[in-house]
Amino acid sequence: MQVYLPIAEMSVDATLLLGIGFGVGWLSGLFGVGGGFLLTPLLILVGIPAPVAVASGANQTLGASVSGLIAQWRRGNVDPRMGLVLLVGGFIGSAMGVELFAWLRRQGQVDLAVSIFYIVVLGSVGALMVRESVRAILRRRRSGGPARLHAHMWMHGLPFKLRFRKSRLYISVIPPMLVGLGIGVLSAVMGVGGGFMLVPAMIYLLGMPTSVVIGTSLFQVVFVAANVTLLQAVQTGSVDIVLTLLLLLGGVAGAQFGAAMGTRLRGEETRALLGLLVLGVALSLLWGLVATPDSLFAIGPIPT
Amino acid sequence: MRRARRVLLALLLGLGIASGAHPALVRPLAAQPAPAAPLPPPPPPAPGNPAAARPPLVAELSQERVDITTGFSGTELLVFGATERLLGGEGGDDVLVVVQSGAEPMIVRRKIRVLGLWLNGPSARFRQVPGFYLMAGTRPLREMLPPEEREAKRLGVDHLPLQSLGIQDPAYRQALLQLKQSARLWHEEEEAVQISGARLFRARLPLPAATDTGDYQVQVLLVRAGRVVARQELGFRVERVGAAARIADVAATEPVLYGLACILLAAFAGWLGSVLFRRG
Repeated sequence: MQVYLPIAEMSVDATLLLGIGFGVGWLSGLFGVGGGFLLTPLLILVGIPAPVAVASGANQTLGASVSGLIAQWRRGNVDPRMGLVLLVGGFIGSAMGVELFAWLRRQGQVDLAVSIFYIVVLGSVGALMVRESVRAILRRRRSGGPARLHAHMWMHGLPFKLRFRKSRLYISVIPPMLVGLGIGVLSAVMGVGGGFMLVPAMIYLLGMPTSVVIGTSLFQVVFVAANVTLLQAVQTGSVDIVLTLLLLLGGVAGAQFGAAMGTRLRGEETRALLGLLVLGVALSLLWGLVATPDSLFAIGPIPT
Repeated sequence: MRRARRVLLALLLGLGIASGAHPALVRPLAAQPAPAAPLPPPPPPAPGNPAAARPPLVAELSQERVDITTGFSGTELLVFGATERLLGGEGGDDVLVVVQSGAEPMIVRRKIRVLGLWLNGPSARFRQVPGFYLMAGTRPLREMLPPEEREAKRLGVDHLPLQSLGIQDPAYRQALLQLKQSARLWHEEEEAVQISGARLFRARLPLPAATDTGDYQVQVLLVRAGRVVARQELGFRVERVGAAARIADVAATEPVLYGLACILLAAFAGWLGSVLFRRG
């Protein structure tokens, strides 16, 4: 069934979008991430213009994360104070990111910039995740892991310390704010909520316990994605609500299947699989940049 | 489409020729202008030369509006009409149909390789590029018209007036032609105008799913002995209607409101999903 997307100004197969939504939702339910990092490249792949894919991807991430957040909040797995600190950074970052995106669009390099952002971010996050989870799996085999809550580093000497009770942390607000800022910029340019970057950053950089990481990252993702949606709608006018709702329809159903399956997998194995998936997306995007294109020319409307 | 067939049938029966025609729009390129007199089926009481009184070409479109709804997946228009002299065959007249959408500026970028990556490099800007161009004839264009006439009348994709600003490399123009043609947005159909009864002609005009909104111009040309002897200009408008139009409108005029609505709708959809699919 064909559906006309009013903002993308094109007609696409609705079942294709539902299928993409379902697949991404299934993976996000399985791994506990928003799945935006898979969604945006897939949308670009099926021919949705990059600006619309990015803006609508952020909007979809918002919807997908809301249902996850509700579930995590009920279980008390959200650290609202940490979430708010991350959010302050995230808002500043996403405002900067949308400006950067509009500038790139004027330069005619938005597709390239989005691809490079994806390759660098997904490549490094994926590699780190695979390395870490393989180590964890090996360590478990050898039995007996380290009992320390988190390592003490240089950043624990920074000022403006605050007590985060749920996260069992007493640290400066500067590192979480910087983490939020960086992820805000990336989420605006890449059209992702940033969960797949935020979760490792919270575990490895901030030293938060795993139990509250998913819930708190969803908290941050919901609000940052909402902010990006609004800013994209105003700045570039490329949020396509029809596209978003179709993706959500498939995504919400897929997420339930994924979550049911996810409970049967071990943490380390899940992280290793997610890492491989992330790496795979990065490699395929890299191939798209390196391979000789079919046509040496590209046409487009003159950006205003 | 069914309505169009009925009109065509009426034409075939010889009833609709006069009523469906806009004689004022027909501009014979012959010396004497044709008086705009309606034409009953029996031979009219012709003052003077009866051949000059009859419009040499009469054409009509099956619809003047194409609505893009949320279910739009491309459509087809029908252009049809009749000629005064016999069409096709040896020495007969030919009909050429040209559909064109409003011109818009476009940018053509050349991809260059930097450090092993393909990037958008230098670009040429074209001020007036028709978004859509379709040509159909009773015979292939090359057989119908000599190159001089094609160029003088700017017929065919090779003769579109494409002026580039900045870089004057013909490769950009060539690339524009190629990309537009491979996207099926510009094409010349071979022998797509069908003739029935040597006087009636009809052609299907396919519009792709990615059809732009706006006004489209349809020119119907009568070709005789390698020259365009008469032409009629028709037009149709492609518009978004219903939900699609309203969404695009609101997004353009009230971006803040639209953005907030998108946020609320997505959040609501997510919440609804978590309620519907909650396990246990």
